Amino acid sequence: MSAPQLTTLLTNRDLDRLARLRINAARRLTNRSRGEHLAAKGGTSTEFCDYRDYAPGDDMRFVDWNIFSRLNRPYVKQFHHEEEMHVAILVDASNSMLFEGKFALARQLATALAVVGLRNQEKVSVYALWSAGAAARLAPCTGRASQAKTLRFIEQIESGGDAPIEQGIESFLRQHSGRGVVVVLSDFLTGGDLKRTFSLLHGSGLEVFALQILGPGEIDPELSGDLRFCDSETAAHLDVSSAADLLAIYQEYRAAHQQMIETLAQQRSGRFLSVSAAEPFERVFFDLLRRKGWVV
Amino acid sequence: MTFTALSSAWLAALLVPLVAFYFLKLKRPRHDVSSLVLWRQVIADQRVNSPFQKFKRNLLLLLQILLLALLVLAAMQPLLRSGAVQAERLPILIDVSASMAALDKAGGVSRLDAAKARVRELIAKLPSDQQLCLIAYSKTARRLTGFTNNQAELRDALAALEVEDVAGDLEEALRTAQALARSAAFDKVLLYSDGNFPAQTNFELSYRIDFQKLEPAGPNFGITACNARRGISGQWDVFVQLGGSARAESTSGTVELLQEGAAIASENVTLVSGATPRLVFKVGGEKPASLEVRFTPRAFDSLAADNRAWLALPAVRPLAVYVPPALASYRHALDAMDGLDVFPRDNSALPASFDIVFANTEADLARPARVLCSVGFVPPDLQKLVTIESGSASVIDWRRDSPLLQHVTMTDVVLMDDPHQAAGVDESALANLGYEVLAHGPRGPLVVARTEGENLRVHLLFHTDRSTLPYRVAFPIFISNLVNASLRQSHLGEVEAAPTGVLPALTLAPSRSYRIAGPVGFSREASSDERGQLAGVPAPKAGEYTISDGSPTAVSVGASILSVKETSLASVEQIEFNDRLKVAASTAPVSTDRPLWWPLAFAGFGVLLVEWWFFNRRSLLTR
Repeated sequence: MSAPQLTTLLTNRDLDRLARLRINAARRLTNRSRGEHLAAKGGTSTEFCDYRDYAPGDDMRFVDWNIFSRLNRPYVKQFHHEEEMHVAILVDASNSMLFEGKFALARQLATALAVVGLRNQEKVSVYALWSAGAAARLAPCTGRASQAKTLRFIEQIESGGDAPIEQGIESFLRQHSGRGVVVVLSDFLTGGDLKRTFSLLHGSGLEVFALQILGPGEIDPELSGDLRFCDSETAAHLDVSSAADLLAIYQEYRAAHQQMIETLAQQRSGRFLSVSAAEPFERVFFDLLRRKGWVV
Repeated sequence: MTFTALSSAWLAALLVPLVAFYFLKLKRPRHDVSSLVLWRQVIADQRVNSPFQKFKRNLLLLLQILLLALLVLAAMQPLLRSGAVQAERLPILIDVSASMAALDKAGGVSRLDAAKARVRELIAKLPSDQQLCLIAYSKTARRLTGFTNNQAELRDALAALEVEDVAGDLEEALRTAQALARSAAFDKVLLYSDGNFPAQTNFELSYRIDFQKLEPAGPNFGITACNARRGISGQWDVFVQLGGSARAESTSGTVELLQEGAAIASENVTLVSGATPRLVFKVGGEKPASLEVRFTPRAFDSLAADNRAWLALPAVRPLAVYVPPALASYRHALDAMDGLDVFPRDNSALPASFDIVFANTEADLARPARVLCSVGFVPPDLQKLVTIESGSASVIDWRRDSPLLQHVTMTDVVLMDDPHQAAGVDESALANLGYEVLAHGPRGPLVVARTEGENLRVHLLFHTDRSTLPYRVAFPIFISNLVNASLRQSHLGEVEAAPTGVLPALTLAPSRSYRIAGPVGFSREASSDERGQLAGVPAPKAGEYTISDGSPTAVSVGASILSVKETSLASVEQIEFNDRLKVAASTAPVSTDRPLWWPLAFAGFGVLLVEWWFFNRRSLLTR
């Protein structure tokens, strides 16, 4: 008899596979709370890490007297300090994500990342960026005990918001505290100032993992004739003649937009990856993200 | 450039609904996108980099307007004027005489086909304000269509046109065109011919004529005459004359004489241009013979229809002559001639019919005869017009060119009968009865003659016994002329091959219906009259015609061209009319207005295709 399905978003088999992974943050942006991430500045655990020169004010208890007796110079022993890392997962729940399975993939990825974080004793919080006001939020939680709650929260996230991603992130920052990693799952199709948004995230001590999810129709649209484009979020329209002639230019702008986001992320020690919503979750998470080193 | 259907310009008003419908229909299909961010940048970029974007945005409308403009222009039927004055009505005379069947080369096209091609081109370019009338002519002319611009009707009439193996008569065609002018005025006639007609035409031309001469045909040789004459020893001498076209170089061939389909004589002949060799064959006259003369040239011969001729020879026999015993002078004259059986004679029954009957009473007029000559009384049909009075008379004048009076000198002949023409009666009254006056007396006709089918009636309105004529040398000559006329009428002296056009009159069973089958599917029904004469049967094609009443026995008659003019394929370069007006032949095609509707319609179709391709090219490329 098989175990009941824990969530509608991922299979139990996928959840099991997640247990062996962890989020690979490049920067050691951790919190004071004890966790499983080594703090960048060292700590007071029992596991020896390194030596360094004594500096006035250092705790005399960490001076290695054996070294001092041999070298006649004081050295201070350093130990690993494992601190808790905050993993904030931002799911773009605007209308634009409703297209071509983007939102479904975003929720699957959010679920996977949250589960990975919880199972690695990270402090995990999930935000649904729905409107410019306060984002729907799963308060930071940790441990496997929070897994069911987290899964339920992500399952219940609904799309249909009208807030551009930069406004959603700003509302997230107003609620969030703590350093760590922020994973932004969005199509990043916004005319807003993403540079400011990325800078704010970076300035808040968050390593940005920007994952762009685009639909197949956005990656390689097949259009022809005279069309009236309607924006799903703003309801604005744009008349286009001979759409087929514009596809080449569109591709140029899409590539440039992608390059711009990647540059913004990399300049802030972050990461960027663009995936197609048509890709299956397993390939994106267990293949792409692992090969890109997002999870190890 | 002019427009022949300017009224079609109202179609341009369709531009209004076109534009209206375009903008009503321009409700573009809605396409929801997640975000317009990228598309706005694309559009902004394109507007900057593509100055024709505004044009392209309404390209569909512009193409549709262009398409409508082209179609409206096409409907207005523009013409590129050729410079020639355009006739509203134009009769076209097409020569379909025998020479038009001549080919230009082996396996080439006939003159008629060449003419058809030119006329077909005219029809194809026929503007809507011009009407054509097709007239075909050979020996006679016939109107194929009325004045019409219905191209289908004209094309059908043209396609049905065939060569008739008869000589052409241009005057007949010109007269038909002139008759046409009475109902529908025109000032110009187009003539398509190979020029095989006399250079001078006795016709008062009341319209201009454009003589379109066709390219000359290839060399031709053929039979131009064929007849048979009874020889002294009772056989038939068959004469065949050959002729050739001016362009023909020397050639050789074989002339065969076939009797009942089997060759009985053959002669090789060498023909050179301008020569008309005459061949003679001898055929026994013991029994009737149906002969065919066939000429087979060894080189290319452009006209095949003149290479055969047919002769139907009767059996040679003596003429049966009835002479009342009272006409002793006639019997005396006939006794000196050979080949005659004169009746009545001792212990001999009278035959059912005679070749010659001399009658001195009205009762003798009832005897069946090819040639009947009454002497000394007025036949019943002339009794109201002529009476014979007693009195001296002399011959005032006579028809010296008549075969009956050939070499007959009637000067100083004294008559004791004086025929009087009735008061108020002139020669036309006699002509109305079919009589021709051969000799005139001082107060009335002396000799009249009438042809009744194959029979000849000659009436001497004076009695020769009461004249000095029997004592003149003219008398036996006159009797000899009558005998010769009888030989001709009975086809016992000379037989000529029948020319095409109309079959020779045949004597068959009286009042019976016959079916005549001829070459090239010719078929016709005709009935013989009460005397058994079947006449007036057309024979438009050279070949054998079979006349049958349904019984197993059928009569076969051949008809052939037998025309020096047609065989020679001679062609004139100009026609001279009565008033010394000369019309030169033109070989250049008739300059016609060039209709532009079809290039415009074609361009419209092209625009339609471009429009369709332009708006579907992406789906076509990705398919």
